Order: sequence, then C-alpha cells, then structure tokens
Amino acid sequence: MGFLNHWLLTILIFLPTSGAVLVVAAQGRAAVRWTALVTTLVTFLASLLLLVGFDWNQGGGAYGSTMQMMTSVPWIPAFHINYQVGVDGLSLPLVLLSTFICLLACIASWNIEKMTKGYMALFLFLETGILGVFLSLDFFLFYVFFELSLLPMYFLIGIWGGPRKEYAAIKFFLYTLVGSIGLLIVLIGMFLFSRNVPGLEGGTFDLLKLSDPAVQKAMGGVMGSGVIKTFFLLAMLGFLIKVPAVPFHTWLPDAHVEAPTPISMILAAILLKMGGYGIFRIAYPLFPGMAKELWWLFATIGVVSIIYGALCAMAQTDFKRLVAYSSVSHMGFVVLGAAMMTEAAVNGALFMMVAHGVTSAALFFIVGVVYERAHHREIGRFGGLATTMPVYTGYSTVMFFANLGLPGLCGFIGEVMVLLGSFAAARNGSILMNYGVGRGLVIGFAVVACFGVILTAGYMLWTMQRVFLGPEKSEYKDFPEVDAREQTVLIPLVAMAVLLGVLPYGMFFVFTNTTVAGLFKLFG
Amino acid sequence: MASMGLIFTSLAAVGPFVPEWGQMRPFVGELVLMGTIVGVLLSAFWGRRSNAVAGVVSLAGLMLAVVGLLLVRPTEGGEQFRGMLVSDHFAVLWKILLLVFTAGVVLMWFSTTRVSMHEGDGPEFFTLLLGACLGMCLMGSTSNLLMIFMAVEMASLPSYVLAGFRKTDRVGSEAALKYVLFGAATSAVMVYGLSMLYGLYGTLQIGELARRVDLGGGVPLAVAMVGILAGVGFKISAVPFHFWCPDVFEGAGVDVAAFLSVASKGAGLTLLLRILMTIGHGLGYAGSEVLTSLAVTVGVMGAITCTVGNTGAYVQMNMKRLLAYSSIAHAGYMLCILSLVVRGGSDANGVMANSAAQALLLYLAVYLFMNLGAFTVAGLVQRETGGERLEDYTGLGRRSPLLAVCMGAFMFSLVGLPPFAGFGAKVYVMWKLGANGSWWWALVAVIGVNTVFSLYYYLRVVRVMFMVESEKPEMVVSPLGGGLALVCAVMLLVMLVAFEPVLNLTGRYAKLHLPRSVPTGQVVAGGL
Repeated sequence: MGFLNHWLLTILIFLPTSGAVLVVAAQGRAAVRWTALVTTLVTFLASLLLLVGFDWNQGGGAYGSTMQMMTSVPWIPAFHINYQVGVDGLSLPLVLLSTFICLLACIASWNIEKMTKGYMALFLFLETGILGVFLSLDFFLFYVFFELSLLPMYFLIGIWGGPRKEYAAIKFFLYTLVGSIGLLIVLIGMFLFSRNVPGLEGGTFDLLKLSDPAVQKAMGGVMGSGVIKTFFLLAMLGFLIKVPAVPFHTWLPDAHVEAPTPISMILAAILLKMGGYGIFRIAYPLFPGMAKELWWLFATIGVVSIIYGALCAMAQTDFKRLVAYSSVSHMGFVVLGAAMMTEAAVNGALFMMVAHGVTSAALFFIVGVVYERAHHREIGRFGGLATTMPVYTGYSTVMFFANLGLPGLCGFIGEVMVLLGSFAAARNGSILMNYGVGRGLVIGFAVVACFGVILTAGYMLWTMQRVFLGPEKSEYKDFPEVDAREQTVLIPLVAMAVLLGVLPYGMFFVFTNTTVAGLFKLFG
Repeated sequence: MASMGLIFTSLAAVGPFVPEWGQMRPFVGELVLMGTIVGVLLSAFWGRRSNAVAGVVSLAGLMLAVVGLLLVRPTEGGEQFRGMLVSDHFAVLWKILLLVFTAGVVLMWFSTTRVSMHEGDGPEFFTLLLGACLGMCLMGSTSNLLMIFMAVEMASLPSYVLAGFRKTDRVGSEAALKYVLFGAATSAVMVYGLSMLYGLYGTLQIGELARRVDLGGGVPLAVAMVGILAGVGFKISAVPFHFWCPDVFEGAGVDVAAFLSVASKGAGLTLLLRILMTIGHGLGYAGSEVLTSLAVTVGVMGAITCTVGNTGAYVQMNMKRLLAYSSIAHAGYMLCILSLVVRGGSDANGVMANSAAQALLLYLAVYLFMNLGAFTVAGLVQRETGGERLEDYTGLGRRSPLLAVCMGAFMFSLVGLPPFAGFGAKVYVMWKLGANGSWWWALVAVIGVNTVFSLYYYLRVVRVMFMVESEKPEMVVSPLGGGLALVCAVMLLVMLVAFEPVLNLTGRYAKLHLPRSVPTGQVVAGGL
C-alpha cells in the first residue's frame, strides 16, 4: 500500500504512454486496437484504486492539507521545479471521469480505419497529457502537461477530422496557444516574485505553497495590485479560452464539427474541464483577492455564455454543432459557479463539470451513431428515428433529459446547485456580501442564469422532436439498430447519468465537500 | 628618437614571439582544424580527389578537435598571444558546440548533397567549410579589434564561396553575389567603426578601451558602435542586415544553409556577447550610459528581428526560405538574451551577465539540434524528390513516417512547445529576461507574442506533411540521413527531460575571462 500510495498517480499518468509505445510496436490493425483498449482499461482500473487509497475524511483542514498520495521528486532543482503530483477532492472526480471517458472513447474508436496505429498512439499520449494536468501540483509541470495535450489533439482533429479539419485544427491550436502564452508569463512571473518570500528563497513553482495566504501576502507587497491583476487576468484568459467561455468560444464548434466522434467525446468531456479545473486549482487559489474584486466580470461571462450558448444551440441546423453550443452554455454554469464564490455554487460547478462530461460524451456519441448511418447531420432532414431505432432512441432520450436537467439525472444537480449557490451569494454573510457587492446585482445574475435552464429544455426538446419523433422516413427505414459495441459505450454513460443524478452525495460531493471547504478558507 | 628607443627597448623586453604549449592548449580545437585542412588538401593527392575521402578526413578531424577540447580542462582563462586571443570556459563550450554541429553538417553532406556533388569538388568544399569553421572558432575567443576583424573575415570569405558552390546553379550564383556585396559593405562599415575606436582611445583591446570611454566619445563612439553592430549583425542576420539570409539559404546547398543558420549566427552572437560583456566589465557596470544604450539597442534589435523573421516566414512556400526566416526569428530571440549583459551587478564576475552567457550557450545547444535536424530532413526530401517547395512535403507522413515525425518534432521544438527542448530554452530565456524586471518584461511579451505568430507557419509544414494527401510514391531514406534526423529529435526530447544536466553544463561553462586592466603601453596595444 505504501508503494501504491507513493507511485499510483505516476503509474496512472504514464500507463497510457507506455501503452502508446506498445501500440507503435504492435503489428496489424487488430493488435493495435486491442493494445489500446487494454491500456485504457488498465488505466481505468488503476484509477479505481485511487478510491481504495483515498482518505475519505480528508482531515478537513486548510486547502492543501486535503492533498493525498503526494509525490515530489526534483526535476530541475536549479529552479526548484519538482515533479510533484497529488490528488484531492478537486481532481479525483475529474481523474476518474478522464479514465472512464477515455476507455469509452477507445471503444468508440473501433471503426477508425485510417492510420489506426498513429491514431491510437496519439490517443494514448493525449490521455497522459490529460491525467498529468489533473494531477500536477507544480505550476511548471502543469503547464508542460497543459501544452502536451495540445499536440495530439491537433493531429487527431487535423488528420482524422471532417472536410474542414485543417482549419478547425489550427484554429483550436492557435486559440489555446494564445491562452497558454499568457499562462506562461504568469508562471514565470509568479516564480520570480516568489523569490522575495522569506523561506522560499530561490523561488517556487509549488502550487500549494503559492496558494498559501502568508506567501501571497509577502508576494503581494512586492508585486503591487496592478501586476497581480494583470497576472490574474492572463491566467483567467488562458482557462476561459479552454473552457470555452463567450467570447473566446468560436474554436469549439469548428473543432467539434470536424473532429471524429471519439475525439469530440474527449474534447467535450475532458479537455474543456481542464479550463474549469485550472480556474479552481490555479487562478482562484493563487489570486483570491482578485477573484473577489473581478467577480462581476466572470459572472457576466458565465451568464452570457449560458444564454448566448443556448440561443446559438437553438439556431443550429447541424446536430453536432448544436451539441457543441450546448457545451458552451453548460460550461457557462461552471464559470458562473466560480464567480459566485459560495460553497454550494462551487460544488455545483465541480459537479457540473463531471455531469457535463458524462452527458456531452454521450451526446457526441449519439450524434456519431446516426451520422455513421445517415452520413449527414442536418437536424431538419431527420425524423421518425424512434420507429426505426427504438433502443437507440431510448438511450438518447435519457441523455437528452440528463442534458436538459431533468431531476433524477445528472444535469439537474449541477444546474440547481449552481443556481442555488448563486442566490445564496446574495444572502448575508456570503463572501460577495461581505465584500460589499450589491445584492440586486447578484440576484440579477442568478435570475438571468435561470432562463438558461428554460432555453436548454427548449432546444433539447425541439431537437428530440425533430430527430426522433414524427412519421418514419423511407430513407432511414433500413438503418440498423445500435450494435453491441455501441451499446457498450452507451450503457455505462446512461448508468453514470442516473447514478450521479440519484446519488449525488455518495458519488461526488463526498469527495469535493471537504476540499471546497478548504478552498474557501483561502477566500476568507 | 626617444620614442624609437622606447619601442626598441619594449620590443627587446618582450622578445620574439614564441608561443608555449600552455598557451596553445586551449586552442587545440583551432590547431586540429588547421591540421585537418592540410589533411583534406593532401587527401586530394592520395585519394584521387575523392569527395568521400575528403569528407571522412574532415569528420575525423572535427571529432578529434572535439575530443581535444573535451580533454582540455579550461582554467580560469586568460589572454593569450599578447592579448590577441582570449581563452576561457565560454569559448571552449562554444567551440565544442560549433565543432559538433559542423561534424553533423558533414554527416548531413554524406546523406544528402554527396550524390549531386561533382566528384573532385569535395576537397575544396571541405577546405572552405573547415576554414569558415576556424574563423568562427576565433570569433568566439577574441576581444581585440584587429583579431575581431580578421576572424569575421576568415569566417565570411569561405562562406561566400560556399554559398555559390553550385557553380552551374543560377539562383546559387546570384545568392552568393548578393552575400558578397552585402558582406563587403557591412565589413567596410565595421572596419570603419573599429578604426574610429582605435583613433578615439588608442588601443585595440576592448577591455582597455572600455576603461577609457570615460574620456568621452560622443558621435564618433556612437558611429563606431553602429559599425560593430552592422558587422556582427550581418553575421547574425539581425534586422536590418538580414536581407541576404533567405536568398542565400535558397540558393546555397542545404548543407551550407544549415551551416550558416547555426554556425554563422552563433559565432556572431558569441562575439557580440564578449564585446558587450568586456565593455560592461571595463566600465564596472555601474550605471554606464554607454552600456545601457548598447543593451537597449540590442534588445530592440532582437525584438524587431524576431518579429520580422516570424512575419516574413508566413508567405514562404520554399522550405529553405521558410527555415531562413525561422532562423532570423531565433537570432532575434538570442539577441534579446544579449540585452541582459547590462546588469552586471557589482560582482567582479558579473553574475547576471554570466547568466546571459549561460542562456546563450543553452539556446545554441538546443537550436543546433533543431536546425541540423530540420535541414537534414529538407536535404533528404530534396534528394529524393528534387524539390524543396512545401508541396514536395505533401503526404510525407505516409511516404516516410520517420522523417515526417522527426520534422514534426523539429517544428514543434522551434515553436517552443513541450515535450521538446526548444520549450525549455525559450522558457529559460523569458525567465532570465523577466528576472531583470522593468523593460525586459516587454521583451518577454514580445517573445510570447512571437511564439503565437510562429505557430502558424511551423504548423503549415506539419499540416502539409500529415494532413494533405498525395499520390507520390514512398520515399527511400538513407539510413545515415534518417538516423541523423532521429538522433536530433531524440536529443531534443532528452534535453528537456534532463534539463538539469544541460543547465549545469552550460552554467559551468558560462564563464568569460574579462580583462579588467591591460597595462598601457604593451606592445600589441601601443605598437601596432
């Protein structure tokens, strides 16, 4: 157990890479596929071991004390850069989500015929990058993994994508890199200023040390509020592009429409979450004061993303683009939840990330299933699929309702928690009220966000009606029902949507509660 | 009469110049190179002017020189040969990097241009290559005005001939002519500046000269500095002295272009670093206006150079021209490093300035592998398809997965993305600039913005290789060429994972011998 506690996270991060090496060495398409599948399966099982080793009580102390299974090995000692990984309530659900979705996406990739070896190798490299981002506790290491996840994604969209794949791939890369460069400047700056802190001579990249209020106080004296604000905005820019929040969202619909189905699943379910995770792991803990001061900015961005994303989704004629805009709208709840700074809202935002991970992956797969049969994605041309493919329609209905936030399914909990938390921010004693924010403004944001729920229901139901209901169309008559492989992908996702919706505490909040409480001690 | 007597007595006191072994030892690289040049020329007699024999002799000589330099334990260093040359750690590592790189270029020649080179031209080619290399070695270890000029010319003259080596190629001849004219003009400006310095302060030693700057310089001093910047800027291809670079790279053979892209620029940068640091040291760093204005000039030049390089690369359809603009951009990043010398601190060794030396060595060590690899792939593609335009790279991912993956690695490393060492080098530079605070943060921002700029055109190469289908047949890659590209790519991976040893190595060698005071009236200073 001691060994596992120390090295499990490292094994987890590099398991997919070693699988990728095996994939490159494997001969024949079948061998390549099975190697990749076994790798993702083993990675998923290994991630379940986290639950065994995880201390569920988490001590309940300050932020950082809830961190578990930490490993810290010097990497570049000259600059105090460590290979430092650890897991807490913030990252654990996302790690499990990542390994889970990667496993399903690997099954969904079974029908990739073009350069299968290259595809699977890149896919597994991507998984390493993703897990590295969620588990790093060193700013430099985080950045390396953050960038590392870009390269495979660029190729996966650019080579295996649709007709406008090259445009979509480079747009994705350029947008994200703009954000990353801002983050890089923050990273260098934080290191340089941390050299002035007594006890940290030589500087540090340790995210836990940089989130320490005492350290921040010492650094704040040297940096001045202008520099702090610039750094905070640069870091937030990097993460908001990744989330993506309006107005930095335009890369997302293009990337999704062009990406192959499994890559869309990963992109929506996991890559977007890196942005949300970055906000909670880096931007807010490192600059808690600025997070309070600029709450209105991010609340606005969140609410605009919710409403604008939903309206855009409603106007789409392309099924996949619709799901993509629905992601923008749902991720808006995450940004809003962060901005409101109440425990309920932040917990809800974290839940939203996992719930959206499950529903968006399922929805993109559902689009993929019908696209494979119809070879188009125009919502207007579909209709009556319920008659031809009743089982498929059954799964789709569950996931559509989960996405629109029907009680009992996962989407509901996230939305409601964020909205309740937003209203709670207008209550006396909340962080924002203590900061002296106008009560009406907070309530206003919350009320506007509520309309997002209605809009979501609107476009989801309308799509449901246009695609599945209505009279059977002759051109879709002989569509085969979902096969065993497709069911293997859909059933776990449906199960997760129900489980998360019915047992939100046991499945989720039991992990995050304590960590979020610790996080709030930083906000004061 | 009295003065004649003085010169006579001082000459007598110094005696005839007989170098000792102790003095020669740090210059084992240059000595072996000279021997190799003779060997290459002699090989023409014994080897029936065989190209391959000349290549093997050069390679062996370069290897021997590297081994020799590795065996030399650089001491604290000092001025040798009456101040004409300086020996120190910095020069030793620069020469090692240069010689390793040149050896790589020779290997590249074996796998690319060898087939197309006329049998019998080899000895001349390698004589010129090694001669230029010798000049570049000397550029890295002198702070004497006369020697600076000789070293720069020694590096330049063979380069002109190398650029036009494909005699029947019209583009090549035009490029060589442009190179010569441009080089001659900047040399003239430089020698004008150098003579002005001598006229102002009466010494050829920059260290001594810097201590006399207090005597005042005014406009002539500024003119002199502009002259030096023009001469060195030409070698670095810094804006506005960069116009030759894309044309020469396009016209010259791929091996010559690769050689110029790293060796010529590296030599210019090491020379400029030494000049700036010697001036800084002589002035005692303390708030000197001359040094500050020099550093600002170099920093602004660097910022403009990398921006011009990156924007110029956008429209290039020829791989060698694209790599030329890329190398201009990287020269810009390295020029930004040189702006660090202004902060020497009161420390006699100039702590901050040494970190500029370290950053430069580190960047060169990484840059060397990126460019060697990229040009090797370009050469192999040219050899197989006969073309060097971007469309000749279409479908390379299928036609030769090894070359395409390696090229992808070089492109991403040139952008500065992990997991390649280009990322480490770029972050290190940004870091050091940021550590200086104030206006250096502007340089950090410029480098950051340029990274985004550069992504687009580097990715264009990647896009063409992997995302554009082509009917072209599979490529046969020579094992030597493929191996060389693979080694470069793996080195880039290893150098990031093992960044600490690279940092330590460059840190250990980032020491320059900076003469604080040269006794006035010494023969070299006064007599020449």
